[in-house]
Amino acid sequence: MSTITFTLNNSQVTVDAPPMTRLLDLLREHLHLTGTKEGCGEGECGSCSVLLNGELVNSCLVPTLQVQGATVTTIEGLGEHTHLHPIQQCFLEEGGAQCGICTPGMILATHHLLEKHPAPTLDEIREGLSGNLCRCTGYMRIFEAVQQTAKLAEAGK
Amino acid sequence: MEQQTPQPITESKIVGVPTPRIDGPLKTTGTAMYSSDHHFPGLVYAWPVTATIASGTISGIDSSSAEKMPGVLAIYTHKNIGPLYRTPPSAGFSMILDERRPPLEDEIVRYYGQYVAVAIAHTVEQARAAAEAVKVTYNKTPHDTSDKLLDTPTIAGKLKEVTKRGDTAAALAGAAYKHDAVYSTPTETHNPIELHASVAVYKDGKFTLYETSQAVVNHRDVMAAMLGVPPENVQVITRFLGSGFGGKLWPWPHALLAAASARNLNRPVKLVVGRSMMFQSVGHRPAIDQRVQLAADKSGKLLAIQHDYVNHTSMLDDYDEGCAESTGFMYSCPNVLATSGLVRRNVGTPTSMRGPGAVPGLYALESAMDELATKLNIDPVQLRLLNEPEKDESTGQPFSSRHLKECLTVGAEKFGWAKRNPAVGSMKDAEGRTLGWGVAACTWIATRTDAEVNVELRQDGAARVACGTQDIGTGTYTAVAQMVAHETGLPLQRIDVVIGDSGLPPGPISGGSWATASVVPAALQAAQQARKQLLSLSTKTDGCPFKDKSVDELEFVDGVVRIKGQSSGGVPFAEILKTANVRSVSGTGKSTGLFGDPNQKFSFHSFGAQFAEVTWQPEIARLHVSRVVTVIDAGRMINPRAARNQIEGAVVMGVGMAMLEATEYDHRSGGPINASLADYIVAVNADCPNIDVTFLDYPDFNLNPLGARGVGEIGLAGIAAAITNAVHHATGIRVRNLPVRIEDLLVAPGNKTS
Repeated sequence: MSTITFTLNNSQVTVDAPPMTRLLDLLREHLHLTGTKEGCGEGECGSCSVLLNGELVNSCLVPTLQVQGATVTTIEGLGEHTHLHPIQQCFLEEGGAQCGICTPGMILATHHLLEKHPAPTLDEIREGLSGNLCRCTGYMRIFEAVQQTAKLAEAGK
Repeated sequence: MEQQTPQPITESKIVGVPTPRIDGPLKTTGTAMYSSDHHFPGLVYAWPVTATIASGTISGIDSSSAEKMPGVLAIYTHKNIGPLYRTPPSAGFSMILDERRPPLEDEIVRYYGQYVAVAIAHTVEQARAAAEAVKVTYNKTPHDTSDKLLDTPTIAGKLKEVTKRGDTAAALAGAAYKHDAVYSTPTETHNPIELHASVAVYKDGKFTLYETSQAVVNHRDVMAAMLGVPPENVQVITRFLGSGFGGKLWPWPHALLAAASARNLNRPVKLVVGRSMMFQSVGHRPAIDQRVQLAADKSGKLLAIQHDYVNHTSMLDDYDEGCAESTGFMYSCPNVLATSGLVRRNVGTPTSMRGPGAVPGLYALESAMDELATKLNIDPVQLRLLNEPEKDESTGQPFSSRHLKECLTVGAEKFGWAKRNPAVGSMKDAEGRTLGWGVAACTWIATRTDAEVNVELRQDGAARVACGTQDIGTGTYTAVAQMVAHETGLPLQRIDVVIGDSGLPPGPISGGSWATASVVPAALQAAQQARKQLLSLSTKTDGCPFKDKSVDELEFVDGVVRIKGQSSGGVPFAEILKTANVRSVSGTGKSTGLFGDPNQKFSFHSFGAQFAEVTWQPEIARLHVSRVVTVIDAGRMINPRAARNQIEGAVVMGVGMAMLEATEYDHRSGGPINASLADYIVAVNADCPNIDVTFLDYPDFNLNPLGARGVGEIGLAGIAAAITNAVHHATGIRVRNLPVRIEDLLVAPGNKTS
């Protein structure tokens, strides 16, 4: 067991966990933050995407020891049911969420993408979301959700 | 139960209106609860041990060191799992499962990846480590995972007749224009992004099972039978499903492992099936060979269709893909024969995958039609229009609603088909890349199954609608809310939809694209019954302005009870309930299905046309599906937004089917070798074509009062053929063995490596 302290969704947390526990399992099974989903367990599908020190990572590939002192943002840190983040609102309205299992990862990937490219081209969107698989939507509505978010942000400036 | 013949509903303020999903806030915030998200005090974890041979018997299992590992609670094998039973034969839509043998039933191994033991421990890491430490020895016997299917021994010893009319052999022998080819499709794996999972809670002889299920009521019945307990001792819950595509329709062995372990240990057990295991023991679309023979006269009129298919199945179960489902009615033709055969292979049991039967069947039939059109030198759209039937010639029934010709003509117009030069490789885009244009028609069965729905109007001003169906990502939560909103006039946000629980009134499976169509009559009826009870209460409640009025004088409009036709003086229903001190009024609706009804008056099917453009760069052997136009005739869309999602997603899955997807068996071990999302390639966002979806608006009121048929599968039908037909147009190469691979195209003219 290791004692690990890190910032999770703006709160400091300290956990005792085996150091090689996957960050994904730490979030889901130890801390019961189940918004982060497992799709493959080998970094292919992006369902378990979280932001680690602002970078997009697959939490199934991150050993817990690696988050010591780090800042982690999960879908639970982005918005709430009653007060959605603009990305969440746009995914909802544009049909970017279908079965919903890839959605949290897709939304965090979008968050990361829009930090880098506030007004992304379609190619930048494709590139930015290339690590996140969706088997339901056919992706077009997801792209539209991203574009809509960028448009809203631009209009709100 | 009051039965009534419902009137068609042609006008609605909410049905047919594009509506964001009512469960969207839960999904976008990560708070929607999927099966593996459930947690309980004392929860422990299961990890299965899977067979590393494809045929043989277990000679020994040494779990002694695994049992001593940290955190390990138990290792179960066929010797100590405890009682698990087989199910009695299924009847109608009950007691269905594809792999009938309970896990760990005996020492026999019939496919690679079959469960041979399961480890239970305090953490998932401990369980997995223990599972890997279990030493299993086998007596291996030869296995067969061959994908050569036609002309190999079938289970029945001969091909079974599926549909027949006229004299196909004579017509084929005498025809001037003929086509004869074999089309092969590989094993495909559903690969929903959500892993299959079970969280089993056992308490006082009762099971609460959080399952990844597309059919909670059937799942409950099967689990009860296999666990040997009465159905009332099992509750199955699937609040949200991370899609299934048919792979989660029926229970699979892991659910039994979790439930039996929970029972044996008397504590909650979570079992999440790993992605590699999802290529082994939760079903797949089987490998299929289809021989299609067509005959036509000079004008293109079909004279004969013969369609013989053989699919693999497992060593114990007889899964028939049903590829000839649409062969008998798709076109007008006097002589039709379709046959099926099953061959045994050492593979896990196949199951329904999105559009079972029709999707691979139409790949073959619609490819053959394209090849025939080329031989006849007739435009492929014209060939289809020329052979449009007046009625379902396989049954003699009229079509309830068939607008395939309009799908083809509207699609051709939107696609720009008139500009197509039929010469192979003759069309170029602005950048000089070769274009290929292909077309295919498609169809999918429409039907209704039994459904029961309860609607409650509550004192808090909200309605609650309950049905034992489930939302697998298709939008059932929203569609059901729209139906009740239509009937009550309440806004969607005042309607609580409760589904995904086997304890609710029994609802339809989420499969076959018929959940929506099945729920419609029962939901409307339930809301009408609740309204009647509300009006009745209004006339009997002291202090209510409608006391002693007749029910017939009242109406319920936009959540308000009022004198018929009077816009003032209405009372919100919540106030009436408060005045009466009644918490809620409710109504139940119950509808009987049409599926399998021999007295059905109509042939119910949806139709569509798929137009595909591929872009081909022979110098680098790069093939891309650049554009798809899809026109769908599937009745009225209850929620056009969700329906569009379904079709677009299906088209992209069809790009995968045509170009990428195949489960490859390593014939030495018998195991699926590309059992990961890295090696089983699904279409990703870079593969997406530009997709244009059109819905023809022909409500099918013979099916239900809203005229809705369902759109889950039809978008995938025909798309693979449209793409391979486009590939031929671009390259001159006919790929009759999916998926299209670069190596198939290396011999194409203009390819530098050829």
